[in-house]
Amino acid sequence: MADLQPDMPRTAEAGEDDAPPDAPPSLTTLPALPAPPARSLRQEEPRAPEPHTPGGVLLDQAHALLAAHPVADGYSGLPWALRQQPRYDLEQGEATIDTDLPRMREGHVGALFWSLHLHDGSGAGRATALTLEQLDHARSVIESHPDGLRLVRSAGQVIDARNCGRVSVVLGPAHATALDDSLGVLRILCALGLRVLTLTGTAWAGEGGLTRFGEEVVREMNRLGVLADVSGAPETTAERVFALSRTPVLCSRSAARALRPHPANLPDELLAALGAARGLCMVPLIAEQTGPTVQDVADHLDHVREVAGPESVALSGTYDSGVVHPRDLADASRYPHLIAELLRRGWSEPELALLTWGNVQRVLRSADFAARAAQHRRPDPL
Amino acid sequence: MTSLDEARSLLREFPVVDGHNDLPWALREQVRYDLDARDIAVPQNDHLHTDIPRLREGGVGAQYWSVYVRSDLPGAVPATLEQIDCVRQLIDRHPADLRAALTAADMEAARAEGRIASLMGAEGGHSIDNSLGTLRGLYELGVRYMTLTHNDNNDWADSATDEPKAGGLTAFGREVVREMNRLGMLVDLSHVAATTMRAALDTTSAPVIFSHSSARAVCDHPRNIPDDVLERLPGNGGMAMVTFVPKFVLQAAVDWTLAADENMRAHGLHHLDTSPEAMKIHRAFEERTPRPIATVSTVADHLDHMREVAGVDHLGIGGDYDGTAFTPDGLDDVSGYPNLLAELLERGWSKADLAKLTWQNAVRVLGAAEDVARGLQATRAPSNATIESLDGDV
Repeated sequence: MADLQPDMPRTAEAGEDDAPPDAPPSLTTLPALPAPPARSLRQEEPRAPEPHTPGGVLLDQAHALLAAHPVADGYSGLPWALRQQPRYDLEQGEATIDTDLPRMREGHVGALFWSLHLHDGSGAGRATALTLEQLDHARSVIESHPDGLRLVRSAGQVIDARNCGRVSVVLGPAHATALDDSLGVLRILCALGLRVLTLTGTAWAGEGGLTRFGEEVVREMNRLGVLADVSGAPETTAERVFALSRTPVLCSRSAARALRPHPANLPDELLAALGAARGLCMVPLIAEQTGPTVQDVADHLDHVREVAGPESVALSGTYDSGVVHPRDLADASRYPHLIAELLRRGWSEPELALLTWGNVQRVLRSADFAARAAQHRRPDPL
Repeated sequence: MTSLDEARSLLREFPVVDGHNDLPWALREQVRYDLDARDIAVPQNDHLHTDIPRLREGGVGAQYWSVYVRSDLPGAVPATLEQIDCVRQLIDRHPADLRAALTAADMEAARAEGRIASLMGAEGGHSIDNSLGTLRGLYELGVRYMTLTHNDNNDWADSATDEPKAGGLTAFGREVVREMNRLGMLVDLSHVAATTMRAALDTTSAPVIFSHSSARAVCDHPRNIPDDVLERLPGNGGMAMVTFVPKFVLQAAVDWTLAADENMRAHGLHHLDTSPEAMKIHRAFEERTPRPIATVSTVADHLDHMREVAGVDHLGIGGDYDGTAFTPDGLDDVSGYPNLLAELLERGWSKADLAKLTWQNAVRVLGAAEDVARGLQATRAPSNATIESLDGDV
């Protein structure tokens, strides 16, 4: 029902159009507020908004902003986590996992990318079958929560879902191994709803970069509207995909290597190249990659915005994916705390709107357009 | 009007629903899915039993395209997806002639439009890799029947042409049947052992099919259906789709094939060896012992018997074109169905009988499976049983 989400969207559907042409100056002039107490206050009373403290004012502003520009979360491990549960009800809330509908509403999550990555060692030789099982499981979770979740395949359907007060679920990323080296399998997985593929771990997208077949995979992904994810891929692969892809590319779980030397984090040159290609660096809420505090995450977001540009930065909650999150960002309800920190640092409303929602919308829509254009040009390859 | 003219005129109203055609596998093996190299919009008589002009000539109105893959190779699931992709491409390439069909209503819509309803059937439980999630994935992609086995047993069902192991269906095998019922995917009992046929009939709550099998009482071959099973079809509501494969339908061809295989083994070769020296030995055998030829009449004999045992409401046709090396005289390729109907007219089959045989039974059976599925879905959630949980370690 349309009344399930308290805040009906008031914005236009286009990502870049989401931001009002003249953003309220009050938001951009806020950083003069005293900073130090905010962190400890939030830690002591994490859930209670405090309208009379500076942190509380920022938190209220963050909630208001997210009500208009919700979070499109680039990586959620929820389907896999639910497979480990004997039973669950996302509508009631589930204490053993990080994500459920009440907390997504509290955190203003409007869309989720559901990872279909495989977790157990039995993937060898069975990756396609296991990915089909993951897809089937994801569908069944969505179907059993019709009032909360909606499976979407296109940017337009994300808007429809939001207008109906549903959280959009985009299927992917899946691992490239799921293709079993076959473009036919890619087409079939896309027919079953897959929208993102991580280009690592295969003979054609491995440590040596992208082979000619790998390039054909990227072209076919463009033709189908499946987004390429190069998080964790060697730089040669990432650069080649940036150059080859006719639509922007994702780094579904990458922060800034200049700040923290994790292999999945992107060096500045790659961040700049990603920005030039209008792709997305989706900064993960993973302590190992960003550091253990909200401020550390904000530092990465500042840096990515600086190097790749405000149109190339987005968020990956990475909840329920078996990682340790920064303090204060332990579950899907905590996004307002991160946004409050960014407000404190002077991020403008248009920039925050791009970060949480607009950039992901732009990239999804671009993939849809590129696919339609390519299908007019190219017949199916073999 | 000759009976052939009459047959053609009948087929214009009630075209053939064929239960099994291996064109996708032939395209994979011959040209690795290079659909330009085997453009079925034009005659492909030199390479294939099937193309659109001959489907039209044969009066075919609906085809279950088999998305068969070999059971003796790893990677059955991705290979099956490639076969499905092939069928989808064929449908996309020939929109004026082929129409994707998922339901009985789609079949009727295709008939009304004069297009060939294109359905899919998976041939062998190995295509789901012991996974009900994968089974649901195949259904989602449009697969509307699954043959429980191919020529080999799988972990949960016995094949007609393998050593008995499960003794029919294991507990997981029965769960597969129940989940197929819940989805509305037809249970196909061609290729399975008679014990498996009976176990499936005991388990299913929807009509079953035999997508390409004939009568064992007429020709004693394990791929054919015993009378006690045919007798159960009226109670079940399902259908047996007669196949044309000579080495299943003609006793002399069965015996000849056994002798030819024995000859290969006597020369120290595997009976399926197709290497040049093996083929030389085989050709020498064939010169000494001419291959017996099945005819339209051979197939009609099966249908007469099956009609007597199962009744005319439970019959259909499953030619197995492009899945067999040899075909009967008069049924050489997919253009031959009118010859079979002419033969049956001459044997006294009425127009109403033939309409059931070619079209109405198959549409009724798929529709009935849909009805059963709707009922089951109201009360039963998708099954996530595993083979380990039901059958122990396999």
